[in-house]
Amino acid sequence: MIDTRTQAEIAEARFAEVFQNLGSLVRYAAARGSRDPEGIAAEVMTIAWRRLPSLPADDPRPWLFVTARNLLMAERRRTGRQAPFDERHAEAPAPEAESGDPAVTAALMELRPADRDALLLVSWDDLTPAQAARVAGISPVAFRVRLYRARRRFEQALSAQQGGINGSPTVGMEST
Amino acid sequence: MSRSMDRLFRARPDTADAIDRDALFAQIVATPQDHEQPQINRSGRRRLLIGCIALAVLCLTAGTAFAVTGFNLFGWHTDTTIVNSPREWQRLYRDATRRLTLPPGEHWPDRTLPPDTVTSRTQPGGTAVAISQTAWECYWVAAIRSGNTAAAGQAHVALDDLLAHHVVVAPPGSPENVAPPAGTKPPFAIFASDGGIQYTRKMYRDAAHGHPATLIQSCRANGPVGTR
Repeated sequence: MIDTRTQAEIAEARFAEVFQNLGSLVRYAAARGSRDPEGIAAEVMTIAWRRLPSLPADDPRPWLFVTARNLLMAERRRTGRQAPFDERHAEAPAPEAESGDPAVTAALMELRPADRDALLLVSWDDLTPAQAARVAGISPVAFRVRLYRARRRFEQALSAQQGGINGSPTVGMEST
Repeated sequence: MSRSMDRLFRARPDTADAIDRDALFAQIVATPQDHEQPQINRSGRRRLLIGCIALAVLCLTAGTAFAVTGFNLFGWHTDTTIVNSPREWQRLYRDATRRLTLPPGEHWPDRTLPPDTVTSRTQPGGTAVAISQTAWECYWVAAIRSGNTAAAGQAHVALDDLLAHHVVVAPPGSPENVAPPAGTKPPFAIFASDGGIQYTRKMYRDAAHGHPATLIQSCRANGPVGTR
């Protein structure tokens, strides 16, 4: 006879590990302009629990972020919000959060959505390039190329912002 | 790390969420799991792929009987361009997936053009529409079974949106390589003018009014093994 209590405990223990990503998902949704980032994160976790047996056993983080992205796009569609960029590049909702550094925000918004998403997945969302590649739906090699270009373009855009935004406390550090 | 990247790291928004984590955790684990919905396994994916290919072949061949020379009705026309490169097919498919939605937790399956095969340029998009439609139908069925009215409503909205914006009905007598008027925004699936679209709309209406039998049949017939 199967001990269902033991199975339940095992499932809860595994879900507890998955649940540790809640904060990352809130930040991910907030940085992509969600109106309800906590709600998105909670929904992702609810789905993860419901489908726990089908979650990748080795690394559930890409699965969680892809699910969050799907929910964000559904939210965007439900609320009738127009994506602020060309739909042909709609690989992820665009980041809209204020970063606390106006020059960084402005530089990010100058990037192509795919570049911006690549940059944020590894810098703000703490994903490894391999994990981020799975979220972006491309090969790790292609992602590394995209990330390299994104970094270069971001640095150029940030340099261009140096003279444009005065008063930023970190602007001086970037001056050459 | 360059100074720019360091600055980007430090600029990460501080999103102190207001979630009561313990309460949320307890609330979630108190809900049932989907034991009837295991991950789509390889055989399931293979069956879905075979189903999609069969559907595409059926769509391409069924129109042969109605082929009309010089077809042109309200801008509908014969499409003489073909796709015979898996790379091109995959590009069109990927473009289509970026314009469509899947239910939460679903992933776009990998698809490609089988070797020594040609098809129309609209077929990759049609495949993506069919995958999205089936996924939402099965999501709806799962939501009905679990009593999740919010998810059921979400699926209904998604499917209505799909029919409204990504399904076109070819005029009667259309040839096999029919294409809609220029300017029709892809991706789209081309339905024959045989009442199929009306049947589908009725199926969704019935499901929304508490009669999901046909919807369940559709999911069982078209969905991956694990979602039936």
